[in-house]
Amino acid sequence: MIALVLAVLIAIAAVVLVAWPFLREPVTADDRLAAVGPEEAERLALVEERDRVLAALKELEFDHRTGKIGDDDYGSQIGPLRRDAASALRRLDRYGSGMTAFEIPDTPAEPVPPPDEGTPPMPAPVPEPYPPPDEADIPSPAPQE
Amino acid sequence: MADLGRAALVVSLGLVVYALVAGSAAAVTNRRRLAVSARNALFCAFGSTAIASAVLALALVRHDFSFVYVAAHTNRTLSTAYALSAFWGGQEGSLLLWLLVLTGFGALAVALNRTLLRDLTVWVVPVLGGIGTFFAFVLVAVASPFATQTATVDGAGLTPSLQNPYMVAHPPMLYLGYVGLAIPFAFAAGAMLSGRTDERWIVATRRWTLVAWMFLGFGQLLGAHWAYVEVGWGGYYAWDPVENAALMPWLAATAFLHSVMIQERKGMLKVWNMVLVALAFELSIFGTFLTRSGVVNSIHSFSKSPIGAWFLGFVVISSLFSLGLIMWRLPLLKARTKLESPLSREAAFLYNNLLLVALCLTVLWGVLFPIVTQLVKGETRTIGRPYYDFFLRSFGLPLLLLMGIGPLIAWRRTSVRALARTLAWPVAVTLASGVVLVALGAGSSRPGLIAYTFSAFVLATIVLELVRGTRATGSVARLVSRNRRRYGGYVVHAAVVLLAIGVAGSSAYGSSTERRLTPGESVSVAGYTLTLRDVERKRVPNAVETRAVLDVDGRWAGTLSSGDNHYVNPPEPSREIGLRTNWLRAEDLYVIADSANPKTKVAFVRVLVKPLVNLIWVAGIVFVLGSAIALWPDAREQRRLATRLAPARA
Repeated sequence: MIALVLAVLIAIAAVVLVAWPFLREPVTADDRLAAVGPEEAERLALVEERDRVLAALKELEFDHRTGKIGDDDYGSQIGPLRRDAASALRRLDRYGSGMTAFEIPDTPAEPVPPPDEGTPPMPAPVPEPYPPPDEADIPSPAPQE
Repeated sequence: MADLGRAALVVSLGLVVYALVAGSAAAVTNRRRLAVSARNALFCAFGSTAIASAVLALALVRHDFSFVYVAAHTNRTLSTAYALSAFWGGQEGSLLLWLLVLTGFGALAVALNRTLLRDLTVWVVPVLGGIGTFFAFVLVAVASPFATQTATVDGAGLTPSLQNPYMVAHPPMLYLGYVGLAIPFAFAAGAMLSGRTDERWIVATRRWTLVAWMFLGFGQLLGAHWAYVEVGWGGYYAWDPVENAALMPWLAATAFLHSVMIQERKGMLKVWNMVLVALAFELSIFGTFLTRSGVVNSIHSFSKSPIGAWFLGFVVISSLFSLGLIMWRLPLLKARTKLESPLSREAAFLYNNLLLVALCLTVLWGVLFPIVTQLVKGETRTIGRPYYDFFLRSFGLPLLLLMGIGPLIAWRRTSVRALARTLAWPVAVTLASGVVLVALGAGSSRPGLIAYTFSAFVLATIVLELVRGTRATGSVARLVSRNRRRYGGYVVHAAVVLLAIGVAGSSAYGSSTERRLTPGESVSVAGYTLTLRDVERKRVPNAVETRAVLDVDGRWAGTLSSGDNHYVNPPEPSREIGLRTNWLRAEDLYVIADSANPKTKVAFVRVLVKPLVNLIWVAGIVFVLGSAIALWPDAREQRRLATRLAPARA
């Protein structure tokens, strides 16, 4: 008998919790889910692209500093990547989260010798404030509302 | 109490059906309150399933034999821990554990992402509801753990081989792994259903996938150690269909964990990732079908039960659902970039994926072959160990090599000259190791020698990566904390190397011999001499123990006993091995005594010396450590993701 009472109580509690959104708001002016519009979808795609390019830049720097790629490869890859990053940031700027507070040079910097060839490893002059996704915070975007 | 358990399960069924139906309706019609209501139903389903689970656990601990399940799997002599472990010792309890973990994981994953990924979770709820509906239905209508009977005086007891500490932990670990794979699957399906196939579902489920993968991997190693010390055949992995059932989703999940990085970095392989996440989930359900249906012969299989057909039906339906979704969303899943060079990190990941999936499908074919031959020819033909060993060598050794080469290749592309320069040190270490190994006699087994040298290569690359990374960043702690995924991954790679060395050492360089012994007679193997002293038999509570007692001399001196136990309740035999571990040499002396007769004092003794076998168990600890590093929350990453996704909730 106790088990039956407990079972009924569980069922009632479940029904109340499930019905709670309707009990709390029996009538509502707006019952629609906040949909992600085309503009927001585009913004997300641009954010993904920005993060991807910045991560690629960071990886390229790290691979160069650890000697995984030579100066020639580094020199040929850094320029297009920086241009891609600048482009992504500029396009994102329309949404207020482009972080174009710094300039990204279009031309590759003077290559530095790889770490195992004498000189101590030096980071190439990629602008420091860019936010590599794994390592730095990305500044808060402008409020959307 | 059984009524309460039954009622709680019926409530769970109603709730997950509601989550499926109302959740789908809310997602299609875009209704906010209905979506929240469906989400609440999923949360409540966890609560009611937890109540049902508590009822069963209480019945097990109290030895309430009015429950058919309790009477079938426990008896009064069982300790509380083993009585509780009977929860997953039988079919109905295992399914209840599955539903409990599914609703718990599902509720937590949805709760954590309900704000940032609202447009996704609205579709994830009905997918999880659909999976939960299947398990709740089976529990309510086909295999209820709350069937009752007139209480018996005592129960049938737990199978002796399951009365082992490893069995307390091994099955729940596997279930956490199997069920955990449902979360990335649900988010992937949710992403496709909602048409939001960006990377957010990957970001949201990255840790869930890692957790599931870690539990599945560690659970298998626990199972291997259980087989080694309890089943007593001298090995740890027999390519048994049920063992393979856990290996296959783990291999698919391993491939997914690697390929998902290419999507994150390059926006490539979106279709492939969807396929892999679905494959891992389907294989986890298929594994349960294998375990429960009785369609394959396995030492782990439970007797034939009616749930096999239900599971097969669910595998077919959910596979078609996944395939249909992927086909429907193909235009959204197109890659934006292409592979720039076959000599790049992403290409290495791709080769790794092909090898992992090839190994997974090869194992799947080995499991399916007896079923196929039965259907086609009417006779069951099984595939033996040589088949699996051949493909493990064919795919596993290149995988091991790639594990070393991959981290040394740059993303996008690298030149042969730069790669040669980077590889110089690891290759030198490998060659030196090879020469030393040959000098030590490791050349007696070519696969063993290759595995050892490849392992040396991988270890050398890991060390090189750490040294160069530390030089670039200033300290190891800084290096690891800045990229926990990568360096956690390297620790996992080190675990795989230990595993490879352990497997190669114990299988390729092990020694064994077998002899019939009478007291005073000896057998010698690999520097050990074992002399039979006596064959003893004694009665202990619930069992009769027979032991061949052997005096050991040589590399180690002492006494080992081996024989069998014949239990009274349940009336089953259990082989008991003699084991001596030398941790300094990571070597085991393993003794199996069969047909030991206390009257004639004769015993048939098999002695195995297994070099480096203990590295396999050490690998398990290192594996968990590496996974934990990769899983460790990164506050900076969390802030970054919150910022990135924040406008989506507006």
